[in-house]
Amino acid sequence: MPARGKAKKTFFEPMGKNNPVFAQILGICSTLAVTNKLENTVIMSMGVLFTTSLSGFTISLIRKLIPSRVRMMVETLIIASFVIIVDIILRAYVPDIWKQLGPYVGLIITNCIIMGRAEAFALNNPPGLSLIDGISSGLGYSYVLIVIAFFRELLGTGEVWGITVFGDWWTNWSIMIMPPGAFFMLAIFIWIVKGVLMRESEEAAK
Amino acid sequence: MKRESLFMTRIYPVFFMVVVTVVFISVVSGIYLSTKERVLLNESIFQKMAILYAAGIDFPEGKPQEIQGIYEEKVMEVEASAGGDSQSGAEAGDGEPAYYEVELSAGETGYVVFTSGAGLWGEIVAAFGFSRDLSTLTGIEFVEQNETPGLGARITETWFKEQFRGKQGPFVLVEEGTADDANELDAITGATRTSNAVLKIANEVFEVAEEKIGGGR
Repeated sequence: MPARGKAKKTFFEPMGKNNPVFAQILGICSTLAVTNKLENTVIMSMGVLFTTSLSGFTISLIRKLIPSRVRMMVETLIIASFVIIVDIILRAYVPDIWKQLGPYVGLIITNCIIMGRAEAFALNNPPGLSLIDGISSGLGYSYVLIVIAFFRELLGTGEVWGITVFGDWWTNWSIMIMPPGAFFMLAIFIWIVKGVLMRESEEAAK
Repeated sequence: MKRESLFMTRIYPVFFMVVVTVVFISVVSGIYLSTKERVLLNESIFQKMAILYAAGIDFPEGKPQEIQGIYEEKVMEVEASAGGDSQSGAEAGDGEPAYYEVELSAGETGYVVFTSGAGLWGEIVAAFGFSRDLSTLTGIEFVEQNETPGLGARITETWFKEQFRGKQGPFVLVEEGTADDANELDAITGATRTSNAVLKIANEVFEVAEEKIGGGR
């Protein structure tokens, strides 16, 4: 029973108060870069989800064998391997999307969330729990990105997933799909979540 | 404080790193090799689709075998040759063909050339289709571009590419949605630099085509 409780906690923490993006402010580079189109964001999120979960699991499996002074090299190697696998698979099976994502897939390697979870969690916890932690960190990252991308694409182009939502009356806010738009949307998102939703739970906890 | 043995501090980490590296590199290489053929096929089909699209020939999307068939029937790859006889270079050799001779409709020949130029963030590579006299464009397809998604990258949207069909250079840019003369091109609102880059490439491609095809015609 306590094991299940821990698993539950591990799963839900990265969704809310310990979210990698809006609580730990990690992985911001890709949050800003890929969120101007929903489709690209979803593929990117799936890549990160795959990498966080499997790298966490693998590192946890061999955690007792890893000499501590080379642990970061080992983590980077494992993470990079999974990312390259994602890159190869996208390239072979969805070449159109692979072309659009360009260098961002490779940049998953440097996503701090993955390294962060490997260092902070996978090295000290059993594989099953690390897998759950990886999945939930990936999902926590994904849903924030998808919300941001939804609004950026909608306001910037009047479309969602390439389908026109607003009619001709809508004037596209071009700034939304350019880099500054990402800063605005992310800041607004963090403001709403931390200022409104999380403040209530903090007050309730007092 | 406990002193660790020489083996644990020096030799074991190196040994461990080597083993882990070999294992993971093998897995990655294995996956790479097993998908290599598919990737090459994707790239070749992608190129063929670009040529057919630029020439204005319809093809069923997502059906590589049919695309291959149409391509073999309609397109002849011509290599650069000093003599300028297109027939002699009909068989594709090692290098990239200089241009592609396309049967547009019965008895009507057109040409496709690939060209490139600087975009806003990176190189833009495009296939341009020409009518027989090299004066009119039959179409355009972008093969490589790294423009801003949602802004400059809209050059890959159908409406932007379709507007090139039947157009004659040298071109000028007009406001998005207002082009109607044969030398006018719709620019993309919010992507002035990309629009200008495409304009430059499109205006220069006539010379490129003349140079590559001129002798072979």
